[in-house]
This record gives sequence, structure tokens and C-alpha cells, in this order.
Amino acid sequence: MKISRVVSLVLLLAVVAAGTWLVLSRRGPASGGNLRVYYTKLDGTTLGTLSVSLRPRQPGESDVEHARNVALYAAVEAVAGPPSDVPAIHFPPGTRVLGVTLHGETAYVDLSSDVDAQPGGSFAENGEFKGLVYTLTGLPGVDAVGVTIAGRTVETLPGGHLELDEPLHRSDW
Amino acid sequence: MNRFTVRIGSAALALLACLAPPARADAPLAVAYGAQTIRFTHVAASPQGIAVGVEDPGFAQLLQATGSILTWKPGQRYVMVTTGVPVVVSFAIGDRRYDVGPISLEAPFAPYLVGDEAYLPLDQLLGALDLAMHRDAAGAFLVPQLTTLDVRSRGTAVTIAAHAGAPLHPRIVAQSPSAITYEFDGVGTPLAGTRAVGSGGVKSLEIVQAGTPRDPKTLVTVALEPGASVQAPRATDERDVVLAYEGSGPAAPAEMPTPVPPPPPAGSAYAPAYPGPAGNAAPGPAAAAQPVPSGPATVTGVSVTPGSDGSTVAIAVTGNAQFEWHRLRDPDNRFWIDIKGAQLNGPALDENEPDPIVSVRVRQIDPQTVRVAISLAGSKQLDVSPTASGIDISIGNEEVADAPRAGSGSIGSVVAVSESAMPITPAPLGEPGTAADASWKFGARSTYVPTNPRLIVIDPGHGGSDRGSSRNGTDEAVIALDIAKRLRDLLLAQGWQVKLTHDTDVDVYAPDDTAHQELQARVDVANDAGARLFVSIHCNAFYNAGPRGTTLYISKDIDRPLAEAIEQQTEMDGTKNDGIVKSHLYVTLHTEMPATLIETAFLSNPDDYALIVSPAWRQKIAGEIAAGIGAYAQAYPVPNQPPQ
Repeated sequence: MKISRVVSLVLLLAVVAAGTWLVLSRRGPASGGNLRVYYTKLDGTTLGTLSVSLRPRQPGESDVEHARNVALYAAVEAVAGPPSDVPAIHFPPGTRVLGVTLHGETAYVDLSSDVDAQPGGSFAENGEFKGLVYTLTGLPGVDAVGVTIAGRTVETLPGGHLELDEPLHRSDW
Repeated sequence: MNRFTVRIGSAALALLACLAPPARADAPLAVAYGAQTIRFTHVAASPQGIAVGVEDPGFAQLLQATGSILTWKPGQRYVMVTTGVPVVVSFAIGDRRYDVGPISLEAPFAPYLVGDEAYLPLDQLLGALDLAMHRDAAGAFLVPQLTTLDVRSRGTAVTIAAHAGAPLHPRIVAQSPSAITYEFDGVGTPLAGTRAVGSGGVKSLEIVQAGTPRDPKTLVTVALEPGASVQAPRATDERDVVLAYEGSGPAAPAEMPTPVPPPPPAGSAYAPAYPGPAGNAAPGPAAAAQPVPSGPATVTGVSVTPGSDGSTVAIAVTGNAQFEWHRLRDPDNRFWIDIKGAQLNGPALDENEPDPIVSVRVRQIDPQTVRVAISLAGSKQLDVSPTASGIDISIGNEEVADAPRAGSGSIGSVVAVSESAMPITPAPLGEPGTAADASWKFGARSTYVPTNPRLIVIDPGHGGSDRGSSRNGTDEAVIALDIAKRLRDLLLAQGWQVKLTHDTDVDVYAPDDTAHQELQARVDVANDAGARLFVSIHCNAFYNAGPRGTTLYISKDIDRPLAEAIEQQTEMDGTKNDGIVKSHLYVTLHTEMPATLIETAFLSNPDDYALIVSPAWRQKIAGEIAAGIGAYAQAYPVPNQPPQ
């Protein structure tokens, strides 16, 4: 009699555990908060913003991984800019984020060399990087943004005006 | 702006999960994609789908063909693919959930490791790349997909942004006053169906896939309201096309209408404690007609009124008072206004409020000052207006950058207001956020003392091997040098000493030098000479012809007065005044003296171009820059030197 009670209890617990697991595993992804993506409007100075949702931190994802993944996502969104029907200063077509690393309070963004295809003048350079820097420095713990092109530190873009060989801050604008 | 996005990429959601990873299978998979064949060799097949290894040459070929990039190293849990759009597709080893940009989806099986190599679900990866894999008797093939139709309404206009995994060339195959049908050749779609729009002259969209599996076409039929106008499809990128429509009347809300704040409650947050005049509404004509008592001021009420465009905080004040307001910079979005010589008629208050406000606080911070502090839900548009019954603070829903951060005014017998980009005073003690003030942009006046106070260095932008921007055979280097020489002659006539970083069309450092060498050489000319001012002359340009105008770029605190003096002269130069822009430009950053880089006009804009190529206009703007330099020298004399 006692053995059958114990077996029944074990079975009941197993069913409850399996049910709990099933419910939890079928849950939709939780919200990970929102990211504010800045872009520079066509007046060359005013910032506009977009809000995109962030994936929540995943099980097993370390703090460092999560921060880096969020920074990568932020950089990609900033480089992509707003939808094409929103008047804005966009990076040159084809510009991609090759990677993002975090060192202390600085996020280093590696851009593809497509970014070199600037139209000339300060207008586009200034607007492109202002949006990128504002977006990344909006992340917790990020105060500055370093830029590399295809993995290499550059002083400026070719024929450019903006100094890129040291991290950029919001206060630079 | 209303928006809904039709995006299908979640067929996986319909599939039941199977947590066991597929077994490794060595059978290669050949997939035709356009003219090429992609051969996957690191392939594992299972009932849940096909997995492909990220070190597979076929995987690399797929990424290259789609302009995508893999970010992953052995040992890392996360596998990121940045698509050519670009969008980050993020997989995690052992997790069926994956992300395509902000959209979270679920695959039928989780990515897994075989040795050190990550294996990803192929169908889900293809979907993120706007591709679909099909099979027929001849084998497997990839078909680009029309995956996005992003419908937005703004006023009476509607735009539909289409995006696909291949260049889009829409053709209008049927058109009548009530409908228009576009054919997108060569792309399939997972979006088949009908969607209601109901705004901007567009009733609905019907999406149909036609053609053959290997040569599909997608038909998009837009049902129109009477009187709606249709614009020609506009390609914004090879894979993006915008379809635009204009309705005959105001746009009705689309599928996801913009949230409208609820009407204000009968009694707003502060009315019971401080029953102000005219209820809670913003003061109107009746309020304006009320007499303003003289004598010491009293804050009698603070009310918050939500509206469709934001909220208004109305501070009811009787009597005469001065006020001063400040706001901190984003992301510390706090604002406070101090009403001087005023008494608070009631207890202190703390209340939370809906967007665009977070909270409002009211305090008597010292015997003579009432403070109303507002936390904003972002860098919101904010206007302070004195009224006959007090002060109205209008907070918009729209985010703004570089908003004025301080201002002052008075209420009572004399109503006045002013605002400034600079703080008038530091935040008072006890107000959180004071530390953020340390990074405010412009602070102390210059301590630079030129060793040669009569010397101005002019830097013609670019030159030699660096032509700068160029349009219709006109090089920026040539134009900048021409204006610089004209400016030099004018300044010499005014009695200045002038040095050009280069007076012929050459590199300052050396031909084909690095940007750093070239720019530093220009900076060195000014710094080594101990010049009083540095002015760099340029022409602007953009990807399209839209932007135009004159912009003065600065980097240092001491640059702004010089730029302001020049701007006052150039603002009527015939093009638009684009103002003064602070930036991280090399030459303005590294010169020790007040400096500005003047982008005189846009070579890329037809109107500006016509000015730039006119010698008379170049002489005119040179004269205006010279006049600005003269005005600056008068206003900011060098210590122990006679005025210029």
C-alpha cells in the first residue's frame, strides 16, 4: 500500500514537472526592452529617433555577450538608419557593420569599406557618425565610440574631414 | 504616422518542436541560385529540416551571393549573420529562438555544434535572407522573396515600401480609377492574401503569387478610393521600391492607429491641491482677459492637460515674478523652472504622469523660489510661454535634439521670454543631474593668446591630389582656393596679415600623403605661426541634390563666437543658412586658436552650384566672411592689443 502511494506520488510529481516544462518551453520570447536609434535629419544637425525592440537576455548568455550583442544590433540599426522614405542622412549604400567590440566604456565599431564612398563635404560624414555615436552611447555603460574601417584604424575617411582615430563622444557634437 | 508591417518569416512557428538535433549527414546539397550553383557539403538532414555548417564553403558562397557577413568564432554561443540590408540575424547554440532584426522567431530545431563548427537551420537562414528553397525534378533552387510591404500613412498620403531578396522592377500591368496592379517579376512571396489599409486613398492590398516555381512573379493589387492619385514607383535601393498614393481627404487611421492619449480627466493631478484659475484647461481668451494682480507672486495651481500632440503643464501664478528654466541633455531628460519671488500656496507635490511626461514635482526650494521639476519621457520638444495667468509648458510627443537648454522670462505686468542653447546658471544644489552639466558643450571663454595677433590663416580645403567633392567637372579644391584668395585680398586690404596654407592647387604636406599628414600640416601652419584665427574654406556635397546652404563647422568652445560673427554676415549670401554645427573635424579640433570650417554651399545642389560657379557670388561670400572676421575682432579684442 505504501509503495503504491509512493509510486503514485512520484508519477504525480513527474506529470506536474512535465507540464510545467511544456508550458514554459512554449512561452513566446519575453520583451527585451527598446533601443533608441538616432539618425540625423536632412538639416544636417537635428536628430530623429526610431525605437526598435531588443531581444531579452537569453539563458546562458553572459553579461559580456549580451552587452556585445546589443551593441552590435544597435550599430547595425544605426548604420541602416530609418526606412528609406524618411528623409535622413544615411551611410553610403552597402555600408555594413563587420563587428562590434566593447572595451571599457568604448564601443569599437568596424565598418565595411563601403563607408569610404562619401559624396564629399562635411555634411554627410557629420550626420552619419553623429547618429551612430548617439545610438551607441545611448546604451548603458557606453560613453564613446571608436571606429575602424575593415578592421583598420583610420585617421579620417578618404578626403574626409572628421577625425576618426580616437573615440567619438556625444559631446563632440 | 500609422504603420503596420506585413512580414512573414515565421513558418517555423507552425511546426512542432523537436529538441533532438539532426544527425550529421554527409550527402551534399546542390542548390541553384540564379546563374550559380551553391554546393553545401557540411549538411545534416532530419525530419525537422536541414542544418548547414558555418564553415561550409557553400555557406560562405551563400553569404557572398547575398552580401551577408558571418560574425562567429569557434567557442562562441551566438552566431550572427549581418545581411546585406543590413539586418542582424542572431542564432544561439542550443536555442530554437532566433532573431531577424527586432523580430523574434522560432526554428524547428536549435543550432548545434559538430566538433567546433556551428550548424544552423538552413530554411530559417534563407528566410532571413529573403530567399526560399524549392525543389522540382531538376533539383533544389532558391527563389528571392518579396517579404515586406510596409504601409505607412502620413496626412493624406500613403506609401508602401516593398522589399525583396532581389532587385525589384515593378511593372504596372493593370490600372483603373479604382485599382492598380503591379507585377514584380522574378520574386515569390509568403505574403499572399488581402490586407485592409483604409487610409490615404488606399482601401486594401491584394497579394498573389503567379508564374512558375522557378520563374515566379508577385502581383500586388492596390484598391483605391475615389479620387486617389498614384505616383510612379520609386526605387530607393535595388531591393526596395516605394509605391506612393495621395488620398483626396484626410487619412483615416490605418490598421494600427497612432495611440491617442485619453482625454484629460475631470480633475487633473494637481487641481485638488492647487485649484488654479480656469480649471485645468490651458489658458484661453477668457483667462487672458483676467487682470494680473500686482505685488509678490503666488503659485496657486499646477495642472497637467494631456492632448493629442503632447501635454501642457499650466502653472497658475498671481502677481509679478521672474522665472528661469533649465533642461538637462538627453539621456537625462529633466527640466525645471524656478519662479523667483514666489510663494507656493499649498503643500509640495510628486505625481507621475503619462507620456510624454514621466513625473512632475512642485517645491518651495527656498523662501523666494518655487520650483516645478518635470521628468520627460525622452528628449521631447518643450516650449515655455508666459501667459496672463501664469506659465504654460508645452511638451510635445516628438523627440528633438539640441533643444534650447535654458531660458528666462517674466510674468505679471511685463511678459517676456528668452531662451538659450547654454545654461544660464548651474543646476542648483540638491537638484539631481548636476554632474551631467559638466559635459555641456560650451563653457569658458578662450584663454588662447596669439603670438601674432594680426595674422589670419586661411585654409583652402583639399587641393593637389585631393580634389574634394566634384560635380560637372568643377572641383571643390579649385573653388575653395579661389574663394580663399579673394578672402585673402580683402583681409589684406583691411590691414590684416594673411597666410594661406597653400596658394596654388597642391597638397600642403606632400602628394598622395595620408589624411593625417595633410590635415596636420594645415593645422601646423596656423599653430606654428601663433595666428589669431583659422578659417578653412570648403564646398559641401551630398548623395542627392536636396541639401543646400552654408554651414559653419566648429569643434572648440572658443570657435563659436567667430562662427557666429561670420554667420551673421553670410546668412543672406543667397543660399540657405544651415547654421553653426559642432563636430569632430580635424582642422577645427587641432588648431589652438578660434577656428571655423565654412562649407560655403553644396556642389550637389543645382541652385547652390549656380552660385558656386559664379565669380560674383564667390566674391560676395568672401566679402561676407571678411566682414564677419572684422566684426569678431571688434567684439573680441586680443588683450593688450589695440582693437582691429
